[in-house]
Amino acid sequence: MSISKIADTSQNNNQLYSSLSQNLKLIKNTLGNSNDLVIREITIGKAEQYTLAIIYIDGLSDKISISNSVIDKLMLDIEDHQDTEIEKIIRYLRDSCLTAGDVNDIFHFSALYNSILKGDTVILIDESSTGIVTSTQGAKDRAIMEPATESVIRGPRESFTETLRTNTALLRRKIKSPNLWIKTRIVGEVTKTEVAVMYINDIANEKIVAEVLARLDRINIDGILEGGYIEDFIQDNKFTIFPTIYNSERPDVIAGELLDGKIAILVDGSPFVLVVPALFTSFLQSAEDYYQHWMISSLVRILRFFGIALALVAPSLYVAITTFHQEMLPTPMLISIASQREGVPFPAVVEALIMEIAFEVLREAGLRMPRTIGPAVSIVGTLVIGQAAVEAGVVSAVMVIIVALTAICSFLFPAYGLSNTVRALRFPLMIISAVVGLFGLMFGLMIILLHLCSLRTFGVPYLSPFGPLILKDQKDALVLFPRRALLTRPRLVSQKNTVRGHKYFNTKKRNQKNV
Amino acid sequence: MSKCKALCLLMILTIFLSGCWSKRELNELAIVAALGIDKVDNEFDITVQVVIPGEISSKQPTSGRSPVITYHSKGATVFEAIRKMTTLTARKLYFSHLQIVVLGDELAREGIGKPLDLISRDHEFRNDFDVIVAHDATAEEVLNVLTPIEKVPATKLLNSLRTSEKSWGTTQSINIDEIINTLNSKENSVVMSAIEIQGDKNVGMEQTNVKRSKSPVLLKYAGLAVFKEGKLIGLLTEDESRSLGFLRDKIDSTIEILACPKGGTLSTEITHSKTKIKGKFENGAPKIKVFIDVNQNVGEVECNIDLTKEKSIHYINKKTEEIIKKRIDKTISTIQQNYRVDVFGFGEALHRTNPKEWKKIKKDWLTIFQELPVKVEVHVNTQGIGTMENSLVNKTEGE
Repeated sequence: MSISKIADTSQNNNQLYSSLSQNLKLIKNTLGNSNDLVIREITIGKAEQYTLAIIYIDGLSDKISISNSVIDKLMLDIEDHQDTEIEKIIRYLRDSCLTAGDVNDIFHFSALYNSILKGDTVILIDESSTGIVTSTQGAKDRAIMEPATESVIRGPRESFTETLRTNTALLRRKIKSPNLWIKTRIVGEVTKTEVAVMYINDIANEKIVAEVLARLDRINIDGILEGGYIEDFIQDNKFTIFPTIYNSERPDVIAGELLDGKIAILVDGSPFVLVVPALFTSFLQSAEDYYQHWMISSLVRILRFFGIALALVAPSLYVAITTFHQEMLPTPMLISIASQREGVPFPAVVEALIMEIAFEVLREAGLRMPRTIGPAVSIVGTLVIGQAAVEAGVVSAVMVIIVALTAICSFLFPAYGLSNTVRALRFPLMIISAVVGLFGLMFGLMIILLHLCSLRTFGVPYLSPFGPLILKDQKDALVLFPRRALLTRPRLVSQKNTVRGHKYFNTKKRNQKNV
Repeated sequence: MSKCKALCLLMILTIFLSGCWSKRELNELAIVAALGIDKVDNEFDITVQVVIPGEISSKQPTSGRSPVITYHSKGATVFEAIRKMTTLTARKLYFSHLQIVVLGDELAREGIGKPLDLISRDHEFRNDFDVIVAHDATAEEVLNVLTPIEKVPATKLLNSLRTSEKSWGTTQSINIDEIINTLNSKENSVVMSAIEIQGDKNVGMEQTNVKRSKSPVLLKYAGLAVFKEGKLIGLLTEDESRSLGFLRDKIDSTIEILACPKGGTLSTEITHSKTKIKGKFENGAPKIKVFIDVNQNVGEVECNIDLTKEKSIHYINKKTEEIIKKRIDKTISTIQQNYRVDVFGFGEALHRTNPKEWKKIKKDWLTIFQELPVKVEVHVNTQGIGTMENSLVNKTEGE
């Protein structure tokens, strides 16, 4: 739908005129005489018999390559050409003269606009209704830098940029297989954003690939500015608070996911690459897990599961126990907490809500404010929340500890998406705990668990390999087995090509075998 | 669809309408650490020891106020007395963290069955607190004494009960469940640790009691109190209490003092003790055999003995066996003749070996118990002699 439907005026669909001046006039009009449109009219041939125009958008195209491979060739090398037939001239230009890498004919205005707005250069010749496109894209882009959101101690330090081509190249550099396929779609009627779907052909499940492409094709909106737009359109369940599409800005993570049989969606203009299907466990796994010793990784993963539990329930547990189930605390602890709560004017739940909201405000302020005033916010935050609130007797010291613990735990997630979910779910859990105590907390957790069990991401159960329990896939879930035991891919994702490798023998053994 | 919506609404309403009804904020609670029950003129006199959290916490400097406060009130039943107390207290009494229950001497003599009913029936009382008896004092007097180190006297009562049970053996911690179970059976009897006040009872409740390095008033465990059918009948001596500890397999560690062959004394530390009671019927006549397996280390030597010789160790083993056996035999005969209650659990042992025969003698058990032949066998094994071989006494005499 994308290319054919973009025509907003009837003129766009028209064929090019044969008169150069008419063509140029229409182009200028259509682009509203914007001053970044560059039209260079030159005459070529010994007798200066042909007039042609070089059209490009300043800033989107690479001026050096335009001057080297287009203008130089047309103005200097063509001198001795004697053809008079316009068709032959065009063929000569296209096949022999222009030295740009990619040269094509165009016949319609729509194609012309698409080309120049991508940064290509169009050459129109008087008395011909055929144009020539040469690829000269060269907009300024950001250099490849260290990832800002997912840092590792050990592992590659490159991250995706805003340029789609750079991003696909980064992946190709990791996976040098002809089976790494790219399917492209143009999404967004106005923005015409290029969206690339990448997968490894004989590993990824074709049904999921087809489904992803079909869902992309169904998107009908004016603009796509970031992967988040796509994510919202194509996810299975629109009302879930849990992220069902994974994203990362690390090429090594995406390459790993591709090898698992998953499918990457790259959106031009965003350094975050989407991955489907995303399982719950993906959000608790860091790239570094695979680069360090498996025992360490396993311990860290267990720590993360513990952390998510704590981040989710710590304040609710505090509220429930101190307002309903005081008998659950050891006596010295009860006395200690009770002494801190002496003089606090609010019920525990109000206290918890005040502190949690204050923390969320600080966190949000820290994210959005200009970097130069960062220290001011943190000073005010620590002083007001940490010390003054306790000293003034507005909140108890234990509550500050609980909030701090929750906050630290919520930073434990390798993927930011799940962290936000947990932050949000904390509040309803706190309220239900304040109303019916631990029963409420368990009730809330049950609802969350049931919801998680019901979720699917591109047909794959979200909680797999825990629900449904797949014993074989436990090797890379809560704990990580040694690499030589990771010989198969997740069963529900890839389905057909699940063998990753074969048994590893030590050199000594293999030699014995060969002898 | 509307049915579904109504159902959802109902479910949500059940949560929010029923919610919060048993909510209690921590600063609305008076945490009761100890409960004392006395009987005065046919009325129950209840004492509660309430913790003042602000005075306990180590953060704030102590204002010099007492860390606990005791309230008491009288009532025809325990329940009434406790409820009456709300007219005195600033907050609602909270019993879930009750650590210890003290029964007054007089009440114990009259019978403990009635007042304990509420404590085991009410859901707010947990069943993990210990019960002790005040010796020569009322429960109120015991709970009024302030204690150093442990700011809450109830904690001190509990801790020293547990500590002396573990490393000396004259006390036994008994919780409410065990008492209720034993009170229900006619054949068994219950023992409880007894606490006594050393010093002037009136000075104990003053803050000065904890301000001096030597407290004028102290709470001390005096041994085990024996009950018969829920009534206090006597207090065992320290030796008898320890023997009872051995027989009930409650000894973790204790000290034995024995005489050396060439004069002087030697103490050993018992590190492990395991008791097995075996019942037997011979032609319908019950018999009891007790096996006690003891491990010990030499703890202190104040005499001339060569510990490097195997002979000496053998002597120590034999001597310890003798001492323990003698003491236990004496205790058994005292209890059989003076108290006439089965506090050892011999009846249970017989019941386990032969339920049929037991049923026959069950009715007359307490009379049979008085003449029951009990054979005690003690086996002692000395494992270590400490970080020194021979005594200093040895060396100086040798030179």
